[in-house]
Amino acid sequence: MRGLLPFLGQRMLFILPQLFGILLVSFFLIKSIPGDPAVLMLGPTATGDAVAALRTKLGLDHALPMQFWYFLVDLVHGDLGTSWQTTRPVLEDLLQRFPATLELVTFGLLLAILVGVPFGVASASHERGWLGRIANAYGLTAGALPDFWLALVLIFVFYTILQVVPAPLGRIDFAVLPPPTVTGFLTVDSLLAGDWAAFASAASHLCLPVLTLGLVNAGPILKMTQSTVERMLHSDYSRYEVLSGLPRGMVVRHALRNALPSIITIISVLYGYLLGGAVLVEIVFSWGGAGQYAVQGVLNSDIYPVLGFVLLSAIFSLFVYLAVDILYFAIDPRIGR
Amino acid sequence: MLNSAATDVSAANGGTEATAAGPPMLAVRGLTVEFAAMAGAAVTAVRDFDLTIQPGEIFGLVGESGAGKTTLARALLRLPPEPGRIAAGEIRLAGRNLMELNETEMQRLRGRDLSMIVPNPRAELNPLLTVGEQIATMTRVHLRVPSREARRMALDMLRAVQIPDPERRMGAFPHEMSGGMAQRIVIAIALICSPKFIVSDDATSGLDVTVQAQILELLRRLVLDRGSAMLFITRDIGITAHFCDRVAVMYDGEVMELAAREDFFFRPRHPYTVMLMAAFSHNQRLRRMWSRPEALPGAAEPAGACRYVARCPLAQDRCRAEHPALRELALGHFARCHFPVRP
Amino acid sequence: MTPLLEVRQLTKRFPIAGSRSVVQAVNGISFTLAPGETLGLVGESGSGKTTVGRCILGLTDISDGSIAFNGADLSLTRRQKPASLRGQVQIVFQEPADALDPRMRIGAAVEEPLLALGTPRDERRARAAEAVGFVGLDHRVLRLYPAELSAGQQQRVGIARAMITRPKLLVLDEPTSALDPTARADIIELLVRLQKQFGTAYLFISHDLSTVRFISHRVAVMYLGMIVEQGDAAAVFAQPRHPYSVGLLSSVLLPNPHLRRASSISLSGEIPSPINLPSGCYLASRCPFAADACRARVPPAEELGGGHLVHCIRHEDVAQTERTADTFDRFQEEAERILSVGAPAPA
Repeated sequence: MRGLLPFLGQRMLFILPQLFGILLVSFFLIKSIPGDPAVLMLGPTATGDAVAALRTKLGLDHALPMQFWYFLVDLVHGDLGTSWQTTRPVLEDLLQRFPATLELVTFGLLLAILVGVPFGVASASHERGWLGRIANAYGLTAGALPDFWLALVLIFVFYTILQVVPAPLGRIDFAVLPPPTVTGFLTVDSLLAGDWAAFASAASHLCLPVLTLGLVNAGPILKMTQSTVERMLHSDYSRYEVLSGLPRGMVVRHALRNALPSIITIISVLYGYLLGGAVLVEIVFSWGGAGQYAVQGVLNSDIYPVLGFVLLSAIFSLFVYLAVDILYFAIDPRIGR
Repeated sequence: MLNSAATDVSAANGGTEATAAGPPMLAVRGLTVEFAAMAGAAVTAVRDFDLTIQPGEIFGLVGESGAGKTTLARALLRLPPEPGRIAAGEIRLAGRNLMELNETEMQRLRGRDLSMIVPNPRAELNPLLTVGEQIATMTRVHLRVPSREARRMALDMLRAVQIPDPERRMGAFPHEMSGGMAQRIVIAIALICSPKFIVSDDATSGLDVTVQAQILELLRRLVLDRGSAMLFITRDIGITAHFCDRVAVMYDGEVMELAAREDFFFRPRHPYTVMLMAAFSHNQRLRRMWSRPEALPGAAEPAGACRYVARCPLAQDRCRAEHPALRELALGHFARCHFPVRP
Repeated sequence: MTPLLEVRQLTKRFPIAGSRSVVQAVNGISFTLAPGETLGLVGESGSGKTTVGRCILGLTDISDGSIAFNGADLSLTRRQKPASLRGQVQIVFQEPADALDPRMRIGAAVEEPLLALGTPRDERRARAAEAVGFVGLDHRVLRLYPAELSAGQQQRVGIARAMITRPKLLVLDEPTSALDPTARADIIELLVRLQKQFGTAYLFISHDLSTVRFISHRVAVMYLGMIVEQGDAAAVFAQPRHPYSVGLLSSVLLPNPHLRRASSISLSGEIPSPINLPSGCYLASRCPFAADACRARVPPAEELGGGHLVHCIRHEDVAQTERTADTFDRFQEEAERILSVGAPAPA
């Protein structure tokens, strides 16, 4: 019999090596993208000498492993490098942009769960009914819809025609003063500050992007919920619960509890993926999120924003997975004891 | 229905010890379960099945795999295995016709008045709930007792099924239990509401012999103490010889022979029964005498014939032409055979 | 006669991952098996009987002791074993459906053991056809897939596959427990016939005592990795001297309402876990005869004559309490009498 603490301790042990591995791989991958930042920074008219001087200044004349080493040393001192595009420290940029993405993705995923799980359960417990068919059709459609396209449709309907939401430009109206930063989530911060005007503005800006992400990502959650709950309902113990005359609702609830590990897994995978995967939606809504920032970095050989983004996403994902492990532990008595 | 006349006889006679004036605990008449085949005609797994079981009776039903035992067991709870459906028949529990109940009434009845004991108990228990919760849920749902009372009853039940250290075991999960312990939990779940009737489907098949003996003894005492009755379905004819009051043998969805225990084992009438017993004796001469070699799959049997005709050493032309009815050959001794043994 | 198989002090421990405890699956057992003889290895789940079979086949390495087959050391790894041993020891498994590849035709499955011996293709074909004939199947089954056969027929295929190399020793690991009574009796009959024909020795591992009684020359009763009693089948079944054997035998339910071994010895509880075994006799926690001396150390083997060995310091008290004849014999006599009535005229 073992408890939660050693179980977690074991997991924590692996986090640092995992992060190192992720950084190592992404560093060399990004370096292998063609394009010389020095050339890009100085523009097409620069002389060879100037470029060489800049390369020396940037440390680009060192061998790759050395460059990686310098990056690590800086990292330990809390320096993620500087973006030559924004000319600001990457850490500062990310601390501003990462919460924006996180807010969008978190609310989007919450909506996806609220749609996907109940529909999945309902369709699994009425396999051959109309609900099951709708769920199937929805799962297929949601998988096939490009999110940016859905975003454009939603903008067209709700902004252009109905005009019930603000223009898709950023996270808050220009006229509204953002609340002081606490969590970086504008909705939460404005509530903490008691600023209702800011909250209303932030919430209305969130509507469409969250709706987009929610509707698209409810698809996989729905499919996973449906198939796992269905499998659990066909298991021996569910059948025995039915034979023992337990009410249908209770049987389904127990089946859902047994299905939770699979559902939590897909949610956690989506959570990590969407940090970068929501970038098209961020662009459509001019969100100014971290995904957008990283993509700009890739396109312009601006390596530090990309590495910073990868690092932050990795840390975030690892903590999501840690939370998942704790949830598994709480749900299933067979794990880790 | 070819055997409607015989049906009446069997229903009227019930058990040999049937003295009670009240209705039998379980009366099944003409129960037929069909499986819609992918192409062509439906497959019938249980055919025009009759069964009458009295209060306080433990009735043994023996059959080999494919005889329709599990289908029958689950059909009695009106939940035949998918995609089977009850095509005809009547199931009366203490006089109440279950076929007239709606699904909600049926659900309330299952586990409370009519419960089932299943084999492979470790897979049949919910892995995420403690066994105490699973037992307590039964009384909470069916008897509407408050949680605290439900827990107390569950604890009493754990004592009744002789689980050592019951207070601690209440909080145990199914994966922490041995097969024998899990089987006791399943028995506790099935019996805690003191059901009128219990269907046991191959309940002891996965257990070791020393454990099996303990569980059978326990089960018999619990069923009789509570004034219930039980249908004990098994493929092990040896269990029924020591544990059941009456015994029937099932073949291809039909009862072939039904008698009080001593009659059944000392004066078997159906060639199939005799063949089964010969198989247990491992006596080669007897086995040669009573069996015919197993055919390769796909051997068709004539329609309207005795279901056993292809394997029967006594088969005659009439057996191939006419499906035999279940006849009463001696008081309480029925056989479905034109030419029974010991005529 | 020199034994075909000689197992001495065989011990097998499985370490448990992440802890210092070990599962003591087999604890120093010894037995011999003569050519053409059947030894029934009886025990409940967790007794270690299957592990013994796997050790003999070299499917598991052994922790201690020795296994000699025709004088050669069987506990060596596959590569170290002399080539002449190949195909000499074969196994038949419990679940015939699991032992056969569902996508492989019966013919291919049956001739598979010959591949390891380098037998040419034509000869393999011929031997496969011959082997299915020996087990009473039509040669047409060679073209079928396992799913097209009944469980009993699948088990015949399993036996044909094991017998195709003409082994001297066949390990039968619960070969009939997944089968219906009729199919079980058929398989037992087949095994008896094959043994007569080829002189194969059987190690018949089973928890089903009535089957063991009818196929075995000698039996060994296992409990928690120890052979607690062994001897001639007739002697052990008629006069078991170990309380566990008595308990096991009295639990057997023969299909005759009058034949139940009424025993004053009944075992309570279940087999304890094979992790961290107690120091004395392993049965002490369940045994009505248990005394302080039993809990002090593992009882040594005592010879009762005729090769009947028992590990119980109170076996004489057991013998006093249990004075019963072999119920299996009586059952057979009764069955003969009851079932001979109204027999069909021989064709």
